Amino acid sequence: MRLIIRDDEHAASMYVANYVVERIKAFQPTAEHPFVLGLPTGSSPLGVYEILASKYKAGEISFENVVTFNMDEYVGLPRDDPNSYHSFMWKHFFSHVNIHPSNVHILDGNAPNPEAECAAYEDAIKAAGGIDLFLAGIGDDGHIAFNEPGSSLASRTRVKTLAYDTILANSRFFGDDLNRVPRMALTVGVQTILEAREVVVIILGARKALALQKCIEQGVNHMWSLSSLQLHPHPMIVVDEDATLELQVKTVKYFKSIEMVAREQGFEQILPSRVRTGNVPIPETKIQKVKSTPILAPEPIASHLLRASPIDGYSSRSVSPDLVPDRMASRIPEPKLNGRLTPNPEHHMRVNAVGA
Amino acid sequence: MPMAVSPTRPQNGLTKFTNCRLLKNDALVDGDLWVSSVSGKVIDSQVSFYDELVLPDKIVDLGGRILAPGLIECQLNGAFGFNFSTLLDDMSEYGEKLQEVNRLMVQTGVTSYIPTITSQRPEMYQKTLPFLGPSGDHRKAEDGAESLGAHCEGPFLSPTKNGVHNVDVLIQAESIEDLQRCYGADNMTGSGDGKLPIKMITAAPERGRMMDLIPELTSRGIIYSIGHSEATYEEASQAVGKGATMITHLFNAMRPLHHRNPGIFGVLGKAESLPRPYFGIISDGIHLHPTTIKIAYNSHPDGFILVTDAMHLVGLADGSYPWTNGEHTCNIIKKGSKLLLEGSETIAGSSITLLECVNNFLQWTGTSIPQALGAVTSTPAAMLGLQGVKGTLDAGADADLVVLSDETVGGCHRLVLDEVWKFGQPVFRAEQSHVKSY
Repeated sequence: MRLIIRDDEHAASMYVANYVVERIKAFQPTAEHPFVLGLPTGSSPLGVYEILASKYKAGEISFENVVTFNMDEYVGLPRDDPNSYHSFMWKHFFSHVNIHPSNVHILDGNAPNPEAECAAYEDAIKAAGGIDLFLAGIGDDGHIAFNEPGSSLASRTRVKTLAYDTILANSRFFGDDLNRVPRMALTVGVQTILEAREVVVIILGARKALALQKCIEQGVNHMWSLSSLQLHPHPMIVVDEDATLELQVKTVKYFKSIEMVAREQGFEQILPSRVRTGNVPIPETKIQKVKSTPILAPEPIASHLLRASPIDGYSSRSVSPDLVPDRMASRIPEPKLNGRLTPNPEHHMRVNAVGA
Repeated sequence: MPMAVSPTRPQNGLTKFTNCRLLKNDALVDGDLWVSSVSGKVIDSQVSFYDELVLPDKIVDLGGRILAPGLIECQLNGAFGFNFSTLLDDMSEYGEKLQEVNRLMVQTGVTSYIPTITSQRPEMYQKTLPFLGPSGDHRKAEDGAESLGAHCEGPFLSPTKNGVHNVDVLIQAESIEDLQRCYGADNMTGSGDGKLPIKMITAAPERGRMMDLIPELTSRGIIYSIGHSEATYEEASQAVGKGATMITHLFNAMRPLHHRNPGIFGVLGKAESLPRPYFGIISDGIHLHPTTIKIAYNSHPDGFILVTDAMHLVGLADGSYPWTNGEHTCNIIKKGSKLLLEGSETIAGSSITLLECVNNFLQWTGTSIPQALGAVTSTPAAMLGLQGVKGTLDAGADADLVVLSDETVGGCHRLVLDEVWKFGQPVFRAEQSHVKSY
C-alpha cells in the first residue's frame, strides 16, 4: 500500500492527475494496445478531471487510445438526467478531452435486463485486456464504487441497493428530496476493482477521515469495502491532510517518511515494470481447492479466497513431523543404571576410604 | 468515400466551439457548443456523443471570445444600395438583387431579418412581397441572411404621423378585403405551400376599422404592430387587448408621453391587466435620446428589441443619394449613419448597422453584454414566435452564430464582429480576427 499525503485538495488532485498522465505516457498506448482506465464519479475526482482536461488542452496528454470503464450508474434514472453519471462524465471530463465515444464504457442503468448488462460489462473489461489503472474515490462509509458496507469482497458487477447513508448524501444533488434519489445502482464489484493491475484512490476532506483510518490501520472488513485494497498488490491512496485526521501520528509519519526516503534515493514509489507497461495476462481469481486433510500450515486465509493478482509466492514452510501419541514418562530419559539412587557410588566410596 | 478526407473516421459535419463564452439565458457562460453543418442546427453534444458515437470533425478555439446567436433585424428597409420598396421592369432582377443583399448583410452579423416595405401603392406590395417571404427553407449557408417574412409598414397609417412616408398613398381599411386588395390575398394567406409572405403589419389602430381587424390578422399568423399612429393610451390598450403584440419604433411617429395622456408608451405600464407588447427601439443617437432609451428599457426589459430602421444606404459611402418615395424623387444626404431629406432636418431613417445599435445601447445604458445581445437575439425571436429556433444557442435551434470580441473603451463595453456562421457553416470572417482553428 502506498499512501501519499498532500497538504490540500489541489495538491492531492494534482498528484493523481500527474500520476495518471505519467502512467499513460509510459504505457505508450496504441489503437491495438490501448490504456484501459477505470473512472469514478462523485466530488472527490472533480479536481483530477479538471487538471486532466487542462493538461489535454495544453497538449501534454492525448486520450485518443485510452479506453475507459466507469464504476457505476443509477438504475432507472434517464441517461441524460443532469444527475446521471453519464451526464457527470460528459460534463466534467469527456466533453473536454479527445476520448472517442466508442472507447467509453458506462453501465446502462436503463438496460431491460440489468443482470445481463452487468455480465456483459465484465466481459467487455476482459475483452479490453483488463483494467490498467482503476481510479476511485470513496464514500464517508468507506464504500468503493457502490459497494456499500457489507458488500461481498468477492463481488462482481451487479445490481446494488444503496445504503441509507448514501441516499442521504446524494439527496443534495436531487434538490434535497430523498424520494427523487434512485434506490438502486449498477456497480462494478470489489473483485472487479481488485483485478485491475493498479488501483489509485483519492480521498479528500475530514468527512472521509474515519473511513481512511478503518481502511489503513484496521483489518480487511466488508463494512469498509475500501479496506479490501489491502489484498491488492499495487494500491495507492492519495489524500489531503484533512483526511488523515483520524490516523495515528505514527501512521502519517511512517508513510511520509517512506515517500521521502524513496525520493532521496532518486525514485518514486513505482510499479514493477511488467505492470507499468501493461499488456500482461488478465489476472484471474483462483479459488484453490482445500484438501480434505486439515490445514497443514497457517497461511493468510485471503490468499485462498481473494487472490486478485497472483503475487509470486508466499514462501512455503517445512512440513511439521507426524504426531505420535506417547506417555509423559517416555519423554524422561532413562537412567543408565536402574535402581541406583546415588549417581556415583564409586566416588563416594573412595572419598569415604580416604577419610578413614 | 469519406476515407479520402479523413484517414481514420468518416466526416460528420460537426464543429465544436471551445474556450468560448456562450450567450445563454441572460448570462455569458464558459462552455463548448456543438453545431452540425448537415442539419444546420445546434446539437445536444452529450446525446450525440453517447448515441451517435461521434466526435466533431473540426474544433474551433475561440480563445475566450463571445459566441452568440446570429442577430435578428426586425426593421430594415433595404441595404447595400438596394431598397426593398423598389419596382423593377424585370422583377426577376429583384430576386437576384435581394440574394446579393442577403449575402452582404450576413457579413454584418445579421443572420435573419424582416425586410420592411414602407407605405406604397398596392402594386408595390403585390409585386415585391412574393420575393420577400421566408427564404430559409433550403437551409443553405451560402445564401447568407435569411428573410423570416416581410414587414408591411403601412399604408394603413395616420397621415399626421407619417414620418417620411408619402402621405398620398396612406389609406384606411374598413374590412379585411381592403387589406387584401392592398397587399394581395395570396400574400396574406400563403399560396398553398404554407409559406406566408407577410410576417408583420404596422398599422394605426384608430384609422378606419383597423381595431376590429386585428384578431383576423393575428389568427392568420400575422403579427400586428402599433405604429405611425395618433392612438391615445386607451386606444393603444384596446389594440393590445385585441392582439397587438408589437410597437413599431417606440416614441417615433406617435404621440409623446404626457403625464395626463401617456399615449402608446403607456401600455408598457402594465395597466389594464394586459400583457405588455414588444417594442422596437432605434438606438442610432438620432431618433431617440439615450435617456429615453434607458427609460424604455427599464420599463419593460423583456419586450425591448433593438432595430435599425436602416435605409438602403446602409453599407454605402457618405454622399447624396436619390430616393424614390412613391412618385416623388428626392435626395437623401448620408453623413455617417445620419440620413436627412435634402434641404430639411427631417430624419429619413437611419443607416446604422444592428451591431452599432447594440454598442450604442451598451455605451448609453451601461447594461450588461448579455442583456444588450438579448435585445437583438432572444427577444425578437420571441416576438416572432421563433423561440427555440432562432436567437438561442439551445440544442435544436438553427446554428446561426456570431463570434464577437469585447473591448472596454473608456469604461464602456464595445463588441466587434469577428465571425459569422449560418446553418453551422462559416460565412464571414473579419480580417483581423485571431482565429485558431485546428
